[in-house]
Amino acid sequence: MARRLAIYSALLLIAVCFLLPFTWLLISSVQPGSGLSAKVTWEFSLVNFQDVLNAETVFRPMLNSVIISGSTAIFTAVVATFAAYPLSRYRTRFGRGFLYIILFATGLPITAVMVPVYAMYSRFNLIDSVPATIAFMTASALPFAVWMMKNFMDSVPLNLEEAAWTDGAGWFQSLHRIVLPLMVPGLTVVFIFTFVLQWGNFFVPFILLLSPEKQPASVTIYTFFSQYGQVAYGQLAAFSILYTVPVILLYSAVSKVLGGAFSLTGAVKG
Amino acid sequence: MQRRSTALLAGLLTLTLSATTACSGGSGGDSDAKTLTVAYQKFGTFIQMDDLMNKVKGEYEAAHQGWTVKLVPIEASENDYYTKLTLMNRSPNTAPDILYEDTFLVNTDIQAGFLAPLDDYLGKWADWSQFTDASKAAAKGLDGKIYGVPMGTDTRALWYNKDLFAKAGLPVPWQPKTWDEVLSAARTIKQKLPGVIPMNVFSGKGAGEAASMQGFEMLLYGTADTLYDESSKKWLVNTPGFLDSLNFIKTVYGEKLGPEVQDALDPNFGTRLNSELIPENKIAIDLNGSWQSGNWIETGAKPWPEWSKVLGQAPMPTQNGQAPGSTSMSGGWVLSVGSHAEDKQAAFDYVSLALNKENSLAYDIAAGQIAERKDVAEDPKYLNSNPTLRFFTDLVQVTHFRPAYPEYPRVSNAIQVAMEAVMTGQATPEQAMATYGDEVKAAVGPDKVSG
Amino acid sequence: MTATTPTLPPAVRGDTSAPRRDRGRGLRRLVPLLPALVLLALFFAGPMLWSVYTAFTDAALSGSGAVEFVGLANFDRMLHDPAFWNSILLTLIFVVGSAVIGQNTLGLLLALLMRGRNRVTRNVVNGLVLAAWAVPETVAGFCWYAFLHRTGTLNELLQHVGLSQNWLYTAPMVAVIFANVWRGTAFSMLVYDAALSDVPPELMEAASIDGASGWQKLRYVTLPLIRRSIVSNLMLITLQTLAAFGLIFVMTGGGPGNASQTTPLYMYEQSFKFYELSYGTAMALVLLVVGALFSAIYLRLIRLED
Repeated sequence: MARRLAIYSALLLIAVCFLLPFTWLLISSVQPGSGLSAKVTWEFSLVNFQDVLNAETVFRPMLNSVIISGSTAIFTAVVATFAAYPLSRYRTRFGRGFLYIILFATGLPITAVMVPVYAMYSRFNLIDSVPATIAFMTASALPFAVWMMKNFMDSVPLNLEEAAWTDGAGWFQSLHRIVLPLMVPGLTVVFIFTFVLQWGNFFVPFILLLSPEKQPASVTIYTFFSQYGQVAYGQLAAFSILYTVPVILLYSAVSKVLGGAFSLTGAVKG
Repeated sequence: MQRRSTALLAGLLTLTLSATTACSGGSGGDSDAKTLTVAYQKFGTFIQMDDLMNKVKGEYEAAHQGWTVKLVPIEASENDYYTKLTLMNRSPNTAPDILYEDTFLVNTDIQAGFLAPLDDYLGKWADWSQFTDASKAAAKGLDGKIYGVPMGTDTRALWYNKDLFAKAGLPVPWQPKTWDEVLSAARTIKQKLPGVIPMNVFSGKGAGEAASMQGFEMLLYGTADTLYDESSKKWLVNTPGFLDSLNFIKTVYGEKLGPEVQDALDPNFGTRLNSELIPENKIAIDLNGSWQSGNWIETGAKPWPEWSKVLGQAPMPTQNGQAPGSTSMSGGWVLSVGSHAEDKQAAFDYVSLALNKENSLAYDIAAGQIAERKDVAEDPKYLNSNPTLRFFTDLVQVTHFRPAYPEYPRVSNAIQVAMEAVMTGQATPEQAMATYGDEVKAAVGPDKVSG
Repeated sequence: MTATTPTLPPAVRGDTSAPRRDRGRGLRRLVPLLPALVLLALFFAGPMLWSVYTAFTDAALSGSGAVEFVGLANFDRMLHDPAFWNSILLTLIFVVGSAVIGQNTLGLLLALLMRGRNRVTRNVVNGLVLAAWAVPETVAGFCWYAFLHRTGTLNELLQHVGLSQNWLYTAPMVAVIFANVWRGTAFSMLVYDAALSDVPPELMEAASIDGASGWQKLRYVTLPLIRRSIVSNLMLITLQTLAAFGLIFVMTGGGPGNASQTTPLYMYEQSFKFYELSYGTAMALVLLVVGALFSAIYLRLIRLED
């Protein structure tokens, strides 16, 4: 019994420690005129949300985030699906080597290459281009997406396709008509996982996009913080919550649908 | 099921593709020759440039049918503004047509090929003769060409709070003769008025160029040494003056005569200083620029009508009171035309409109600048605009300029690193000076360094 | 799950090899790989090769446009740059403190403590730990900035014992390490949770019958069985932590002075604040090589199935 009590107290302590850093964000977002100081006034107000809910502060950056993370997620899912098909269906030495490279690449620290990426992009005049930023994000998300996709595809039985092959169907037809319909959950996971990761990605757009009107929320929220973080923390908190909510919703929606599998696979690139 | 999923995928794909292309076509500096992009800083209490650019945008668009002026206010602290501007300048598709440039960056940016020479356009501009010769040199490249039209210059000195001085039993008006007298006044304040920050000297990376110029160089150029020796064309490191200046910083922050180090390191400290600390009588002495009252006048970000009664000004003394007794530093900003501007004449027209007599007058008054146009300097509106004008203009006689070489920005960064290491106690002044020497050697090459 | 791979981290567990046939004739079959290959070659391998090139030049962010080949000068400078070695030391402290010790231990502890707890407890604790991991990096940074600030929540709690201070200023490394433990523990917890569920319950029962204490069971049964999970987890979290940028950047910006300036932050400062693009790139290359080493070790550990 004492043992159980000890375990529950330990868990409670850990839970409180994980909760504490959130508290001020949650509280100050609904307090009028709150600064950094943790003095609770017991006044409830949505004024902070009203103040940030305008095109300049929230809507445009969030729309940019949707465009950037959404396109990256779509391209990644499509390209990864194509790539996963031969890797899953045929055994070739090339495919095997490619898989090793993919796995190796998932481990490389992407933030470390941002300086050379900047150097390269500025040399080829790709700075401040949304499509070029999406291209880099897609490429950096690919290794892990291909890996996940291949594993999902491996679990789709092969015998369904064999009939199609004997009918002379090519890879695209087999993939499109037989494999893909069975892979909707896997595709969703790859899409949402990539989307969520890029939604929170700060460093890449921070370096590659310069015009405020192209920057996603991850970058403009930092600009807001460095300019008003001390004086308008309540507004920053409101903005942070608006910016975080879609991520949390997507996570919980997907983990509901797919059980724990999503969070498990998603974990690797945290 | 299958058809639906593919249809969905295809739909999403087209949607995103069209969204991205629409997005990329919409902006970008020079994609449309009929658009002028203007990049400038807007941060904290510095809103005067934004006001001016908005006004000029209206005037320009009214006068030039079919043209659009796109303002790009960069909301960043001083050092971040330079970084951002440099990054924008490096790519033709983001390079602004018109840019607000600190004079210390002009030579660096000329060398990088970011700026267009303006001599051809200036020759045809009648107003150019109104600019003083000294100001014409402010944005002159090492090649002798002119790369920017000056908006105004400045000097630096000590601002002090007369009320607090009187309360602490210090003489008003105050005129310190040496560094020690400055420090002893600060010590008196600390002792007599707990809760008041005795003195502000900008220091560290967060304050950026303000630390180098308002802080460090205001000290160094009051010693026997400087940053650069014009005759031997070498950067000077390991000089006694450099060490003494760092020691001054160490005293200010070590004896807690300055703001708390953690506050001073915040890039927003300057904003807090102007909008809270000074108007609320929480700082007694402030080593700062002539433009500071621009924050408190009616059009400023923090109107404070009593400022001229409460605050006094004293020249910054030389270290031991040696001739000429006081010192100052001068900088200033110019409007330049980007080298990637497609229609340079149009860009120059914007610059000349922004800095005609009327607009220069309004800006110099609002932003607390020392006028560089003779017609503005003689205008009664300007002369009566600010009771400190005479004081700061007179400092021009003892003022110094930063070494206008392409390497200066990197040297300035090394100064800020040295200051921060000293104020946080991470290095002794001697160690910080040695690191500074190494950094300067790495930045400019060992053959261009002496000491 | 096959018996040979009971302890693989979740990402590599899915490899349940559907029966495949070697029908490999012709490169035609590899056509679908092309888009991925092109994207990876251009935008993934491209910048890495570019970094090899730039690191040996004097490319700067501004100043003279001419780029010259300078050989090993950037690396030579690195060797003699105390600020660089300071950053390496801080990176090491950050990785060991927040990942190897913090996330790893806390993750294992949580996974162990959660075994056999009721649903509500599991959901609440899991939910909080996962929430810390799901919030975007910048938001995590703001939370901790406000939490540790002079007048923040932590100090409200600590002022009664007289410990109140601005932790971001007085103990910046401790601050960022705690923040990163908070943010990253979920990953280790999930890895260990999965690994522990593969430990056969019979073994634990047998150990109990032999009179082993809880600690002995952990030491002699559980830990050896999940050994490979531990090593894989360590590799992966090290790789994730090595180049961490956003969290530290938001919380301390690397300061005060250079007290929390890990190599990625120093690299950023040199490249974009001090205009030393080539010097920053040389540092990027060093980070990449270190990362590649860890990644290679990880690769050897997990071995692809045949």
